Amino acid sequence: MLLTILIVVIIIVVIFAMMYWGFFNRIIRMENRIDNSWAQIDVQLRRRAELIPNLMETVKGYMKHEKEVLENVTKARTALMNAKTPQKNIDADNMLTGALKTLFAVAENYPDLKANQNFIQLQDELTNTENKIAYSRQHFNDSVLAFNNTIETFPGLWFAKRMGKKTREMLQIPEAAREVPKVKF
Amino acid sequence: MEKKLLVEDHIRRNKRNTVIICTLMALLFLGVVFAVGYILFQGNLFISLAFGIPIAIGYVAITYSISVSTVLAAAKARPANPKIREEKLLINRVEEMSIAAGLPMPKVYVQDSDSINAFATGKKPEQAVICTTTGALRKLNQEELEGVIAHEMSHIKNHDILIATVTIAVVGAIALISEILFYSMFWGGAGRGGKKGEGNAILLVIAILFVILAPIFARLTYLAISRRREYLADSNGAYLTRNPEGLAKALEKIKQDTPREKPKGSKTIAPLYISNPFKREARGSVWATHPPTDERIRRLRSM
Repeated sequence: MLLTILIVVIIIVVIFAMMYWGFFNRIIRMENRIDNSWAQIDVQLRRRAELIPNLMETVKGYMKHEKEVLENVTKARTALMNAKTPQKNIDADNMLTGALKTLFAVAENYPDLKANQNFIQLQDELTNTENKIAYSRQHFNDSVLAFNNTIETFPGLWFAKRMGKKTREMLQIPEAAREVPKVKF
Repeated sequence: MEKKLLVEDHIRRNKRNTVIICTLMALLFLGVVFAVGYILFQGNLFISLAFGIPIAIGYVAITYSISVSTVLAAAKARPANPKIREEKLLINRVEEMSIAAGLPMPKVYVQDSDSINAFATGKKPEQAVICTTTGALRKLNQEELEGVIAHEMSHIKNHDILIATVTIAVVGAIALISEILFYSMFWGGAGRGGKKGEGNAILLVIAILFVILAPIFARLTYLAISRRREYLADSNGAYLTRNPEGLAKALEKIKQDTPREKPKGSKTIAPLYISNPFKREARGSVWATHPPTDERIRRLRSM
């Protein structure tokens, strides 16, 4: 009798320990995924900011009467460079996306510029970073959602509380940015 | 939000299916080794298994380890050249989709062919390859190309590429074994036959039939699953891009496309492509590698 109880207790303890082990690893892994996807966004934002001066150099010679358009891009870039929090970063990036969109639309009126190899290459690369940012953001939000779901539902809830984990915030995409088609080619 | 859970559930079920199919394939394979041993050694299983299993495992291991280069060679694919704008744009789209899927960047290959097609291969997501035809790069716009890449990326994420690889390896191994069996029966069969009883003869026939039917059975199992997985890769791909219309338009173009030449490469890799390049009319049949294109477009548009 005593032996049976002992065995049952041991089995329960082992099952519990294994569950704790599993959930511990899972929660940590999910959290790392969120941090990693933020790092991805950060890399792309930086890359994008680096491309802007080159674009300005190329465009300057052609667009003589569009000072305001160029200034808006430079302004947005400065805001991006100075942003400190993730949300500020994203807001500045949305500003830059809008400014670039205007610039590329205006560029349609300059056939010489449109045929410029350098310009084509920069446009391709900026589109690439823009898409990468959009998809990293999507992946970031997916990762946050998965993490929050795990630590807010039973039995993850219980383990997460013991690990002191709190839900993470998703990146908000402002209304204006949502109207812009995410994939622009 | 609910949709997300749905997709994740699909992937979970898919992973379980992958395990079940790989186990089934292994069992089928063991059955063949068993049957061949029975035929060759007239019931002495110990000897036959001692010979057969190491050879069989060795063969599958070798096929498995060189599978990616075999597939790429069969398709006559070459690495994408970033100096060419079309191929640079392809690399860009693949990069974006790998970020969306949260997967490492696959290697990008290009197959010189006029038809619109694409496939993914590899043993695991970390060592995957995505290949498109030059026809696809020329005829699809970037939105459609993105849809196609998202579909292939979903195959990688769903571990479909592993099943395809394992099936190709196992079907090849079983075919090899049955070939060896027939040669050895041809050379050594005459002296041994005749003396055995009735029961043994029936078992022998069953064993031979089993060996003949095994590759067909393996293929059919795989094809049935492959068709279901095409739908799944379509919907997961649309989930990655949040734009089902891209892939739907690409499929429409594939349907209407009339390539000047048949794609190069062997038929073995047909199930890997986004749409079967060889038998376009064989829809609805058990031999079809892909579900009918119209149905795929309809499902994408209703998302």
